[in-house]
This record gives sequence, structure tokens and C-alpha cells, in this order.
Amino acid sequence: MLNAYQKIYPNRFSTHTLRKVNNQVSFLGRLGSLEKKVRGTAKKNNHEIRDPVYAFIHMNSSEREVLNSAPVQRLRHIHQLALTNLVYPGGTHRRFEHSLGVMELATRIYNAVLENGGTDSLDIDGKYDEIYYLRVLRMAALVHDIGHAPFSHASEDLFPGDCNHETMTLRLIESDEMEKLWAMLKIQTEDVAKLALGRDHPKKKTFSNTEAILSEIITGAFGADRMDYLLRDSHHTGVAYGRFDHYRLTETLRVLPKTYEDRSKEPALGVEIGGLQSAEALLLARYFMFSQLYFHPVRRIYDIHLKEYLQAWLEGGRFPVDVTGHLNLTDNEVMAGIWRASRDPDLPGHGVAKRIMMRDHYRVLYTRNPDDVLKYREAGLAIYTAASAAFGEENVRHDRPKIPASQVAFPVLEPDGRIVSSLLKSDALRHIPEVAVDTVYVHPDLLDAGRAWLNENRESIIKSGSELEDTA
Amino acid sequence: MKQIQRDGLLVELIDELTNYGSWCGETHIQKATYFLEAMMGIPLGFPYVLYKHGPFSFDLSDELASMRADALLEWEIKPEPYGNALKTTNVSAGLKARVPRTLARYLPAISFVAEKFGTRGVKDLEKISTALYVTKEASGRGCEARAQRITELKPHITLEEAKEAVCFIEEMFREAEPVIREIGGGET
Repeated sequence: MLNAYQKIYPNRFSTHTLRKVNNQVSFLGRLGSLEKKVRGTAKKNNHEIRDPVYAFIHMNSSEREVLNSAPVQRLRHIHQLALTNLVYPGGTHRRFEHSLGVMELATRIYNAVLENGGTDSLDIDGKYDEIYYLRVLRMAALVHDIGHAPFSHASEDLFPGDCNHETMTLRLIESDEMEKLWAMLKIQTEDVAKLALGRDHPKKKTFSNTEAILSEIITGAFGADRMDYLLRDSHHTGVAYGRFDHYRLTETLRVLPKTYEDRSKEPALGVEIGGLQSAEALLLARYFMFSQLYFHPVRRIYDIHLKEYLQAWLEGGRFPVDVTGHLNLTDNEVMAGIWRASRDPDLPGHGVAKRIMMRDHYRVLYTRNPDDVLKYREAGLAIYTAASAAFGEENVRHDRPKIPASQVAFPVLEPDGRIVSSLLKSDALRHIPEVAVDTVYVHPDLLDAGRAWLNENRESIIKSGSELEDTA
Repeated sequence: MKQIQRDGLLVELIDELTNYGSWCGETHIQKATYFLEAMMGIPLGFPYVLYKHGPFSFDLSDELASMRADALLEWEIKPEPYGNALKTTNVSAGLKARVPRTLARYLPAISFVAEKFGTRGVKDLEKISTALYVTKEASGRGCEARAQRITELKPHITLEEAKEAVCFIEEMFREAEPVIREIGGGET
């Protein structure tokens, strides 16, 4: 029986088949000849792009038009991990290849979910066109990040008003250029936006079960976005913790009814029992990557310094939010600005630009400590406030980012057909900590004085912070 | 509202739900928090979308995770067919002690929600929380129109069930009125 992917590409082998063949022939050292044989039947309409994580990413000519659009091409110039390369030199990859990866992986998940559960698994709301939604899903995955400002999340706060990268993504999906492409692909703009933005859609406040599941295939706990950034960031930075068996996980994903104590059910992405260890590995990988890479304190301080530079450099300290202004601004312009400003004291942001270029970042004075949290949850804020008073606000920085939940609870399908919570089946999942960050930084010249001051005052600061009165 | 006050109220809500015999899974906490905000007018500040089992706030979900990270909440795993629930800890008792005025002000509303909704099943909560969502979405519309809207949004809910849910919400608003007045719902 043909899956949805094969119905669109009737003359192709599925990615799964290709991977299996690739693995076999690589091992035998005969990749070239056999791969050529396998691909011999492909039409010109189909294209492959080499990728370091998945070997090949597939798309047809119509989809390539979307890839070649200005909003997607711009992602070639937006770093996936901002200035992380100042800490992990390999981390210079861009949102462009991540977006391609998410498209490829979302397709694999979609096919696996349909193959494992049949069409019924997604036919939750009674009307469902699997080929149409595969097309929507792939395009939504490809464009899910097009609204990112330069340096991605690092500068998110510099959108004016209530605007954020999701608002910009929606604006671009609805732009004239993209509307024409959606019409050519015979898919609805609104459907692309719903799946691309999922829970963060700035306008969409209601989700059908089908929409919720499909958007989770891109943005959920086992979504293609999360899987791809862990694998890709790990690959490029050399932080091996991000790796997990995504082949096994993808092939055991199912849409399962999550059952409640009153026997009511809701559909959710879960795994067959055979994929539980892969799911554990993914969630552990996420934990380690957040604590080792994404929230590495030096990486984080460069986000803060970068934001300070942008505030000085941008007109009014804010990003443009019109489509043209957004498309014209990439990391390239910002990096050129930082380079120039670092050498010219008369340019705005000279001090912080020099700091970035010379790696003269602020140093860690205080990091989150579980004992302190038990005494006072906002210990970092108390220390930041006291340090600002002691050394001057301009010499101290505080970082307390909001971190999304890891979502360790999901349904698991037992061999006898029962569906149970992952937390009942896995000790490991029960004990994966949520990542939390609370860091105070100080000007490098004040580090020694700061440390001496903190040793002397730490306990009294935390104690006095915990006595803040309960006022509205 | 400050984060410490908001988290103090969430801890109090979970304690009250437990006292009233609620299962206290995340879905219960989600719906109860939605009632606190949308019906009682407590300005907790969580945005909601209408999701698989009715109104759901991903920000609240992240906040509960953050509270677990800070040892204010912990999982309670129960045998099959039950799943995971959340319970408060000794640390959370300390948090509550730091926001006595906030808790005193909003306790009547928390008790009301825990009593009226705490022991209801998830399926029931989905219907009535969706009825509340639709009521807030278009407050001027009559019962019939709102029930119709519920069936559009949630095709598995029958029109009869939707009408019952809308009537129930109307009744709850009437019963809650003195409590809402007492706490000055909607003011910060």
C-alpha cells in the first residue's frame, strides 16, 4: 500500500527505504552504483539536497519555488544559535538548513504516524485529506522560522509592542509573495499558518484535534522542530549530548488516545513501548543540551551583549516590522555594524561591539544554587539588585530566562494494546529535572571585587530578599 | 500580579483541589485556573487557546514546570489506569507563607472553584470550560447560539450536552456573584 508521500511521489522510494538502502550500500562500499539504480526511476520534478544530519532532503519542483522565495532564502543569513560560535566555534549553522531538516523530519513522522495507525489515526475530526495535509505540513515546516529577527531568539525582545517572531512569521506567510506560492501549491494560507505557528499563532485561538496533532508534529515534544535542532546543533557544535536514536523514535510514534481517570480520551502523540527508550533519550538530550549549550552562561551573556548593541544600532532601538524592512535585515548587516563599531569610538554601541569582538564579556558572579532556591526562589534577582547598588547598574547583568516545559508525560502503547502514561513506565522520565537558570554577571574588571563582596554578603542578601512584603 | 503571588495562588489552588478530592492532574489544574481567571476575574495573566480538551494555557504549563524545577511541586504517580498528578511540597508551604494578603483576598474564589469543579471528570470539564470560553468569546449571544458554537468547535459534544453546559455556566456565574464581589474580581 502506498503511503501519502508515495502518492505524491509515485515513482520514488520512501525516505525510509532509501535510508535502509543507503545504510546497506554504505556499509558495503557500493553506494554510488546502487543509489543510482534506486534513483533511476525518479522524475526530474523531484530534487534532493544533501544534508549532514539526514543525508538527503527531498522536495519537488513546486516546493522548491517556496524554498527559493525571499523569506526562506533570508534564513541562509540567520544563525541558528546567535553568537554561540564565540563559545562553540562549530556553531555557525543557519536557520535555513534547520528549516529544511524540519520539513524532512515532519514528513517522516507524518508517514510513520499514518503507517502505524492507518488514516484513522489522524481522522480525528471526521474529515481529513491526507495528501493535502502532507503538503501543508511540509510547507508549514519549511516556513515555521521565517519571522525570526537577526540572531534568532537572542534579540526577540527588540520587536516593538506586542510583535514577536511568530507575528512576523504570520505576516510573511500572508504576504503577497507567499500567497501566490500557496495558491500554486493549492493549499490554504490559513492552514499553513496554523501548522507553522501551532500554539503560538498570534490570532488563532481555537484548534481542532486534527490541527492540534498536526501542529505537534512540527512543534510538539516529539515534533520535528525539537528533534532537528537537537540533532543539528549537536552535530555542528560538537556537543554530543544532543544525539538520540531518531530513526527508532520516529518509527514508533503513534497518535494515541491519552486516557484520563474518568475514561475520557484525547488524542496525543505518543510512542509504542519499543520506542520508549528513544523517547527517554530525546528528553535527556534536551535536558543536557539546554544545560550544556543553550544556557551555557558565556553563550547567554553574548546574547545580552548582542541585544545591547542592537538597541544602540537599530533605529529607535527596535526591529522594523514591515515585510520589506524585515527581509532586508539579517545577521550580515548586524555583524558588519558590530565590526565597524568595534573600531570606531564615534559609532553607536562602540563599547559593547568591542566587547563582543574582543571576547571581553561580563563574567559570572552568581549562578543558581538549589539551596538558595529553597531559601528564596528569586535569589538571583536579590543578588543582582544588591550588586547593582554596590557596583553600579551598568556593571551588572541578570539572566533569568523562561524555559518551556519538557513535556515528559505522554501516552505509551503496550504490546497488549493498553495505553499507559510514560511516567508509569519510566523511572528515567520521572527524574529528568526541568532546566532552570538564574545567573548574575559582573564587569570583567570587577570580578575579583565582586566575588569577595558576594562571599561576605550572600546569605544576608538572600535572607533579606525572602522577606519582601506581599504587595499588589 | 507578581510571579510570587501568582505561584502562591496556584499552590493554594492545588491544595484546595486536593482537599476537595480532585485528582489534580494537569488538566484539572488547567481548567480550574481557567475558571479562576475567566469566571472569578483573578488576573493571573495566562493566555488560553481552545485546544484538545478545552481551554489550555501553554504558559501555565511552562509555569507548572518551572515550579517543579524550583521544588514547589512534584509528580505523584498512581497505578494504572490513573496517570500522573501534581502535588505541593514543604517548599511550597513556605511560598504561601510569604503571600498571606494575596491568599486571604482570593481564597473564597479558590475554594469556590475547587468545590464546584474539582471532582468533575475531564470530559465534563471539557464541556463546561468550553462553554465558558464561548461565553467569554461572545457574551451577548443567547444560550442556543453558544451551544451551537460549542458543537462547531467540539464536534464530539452533542447539542444537548452543549446546552446543558451553557446553562450550567450561567448558573455558576449566578452562584459565584457574591464571591466575585467579595474578592473584587478583575482588579489587580
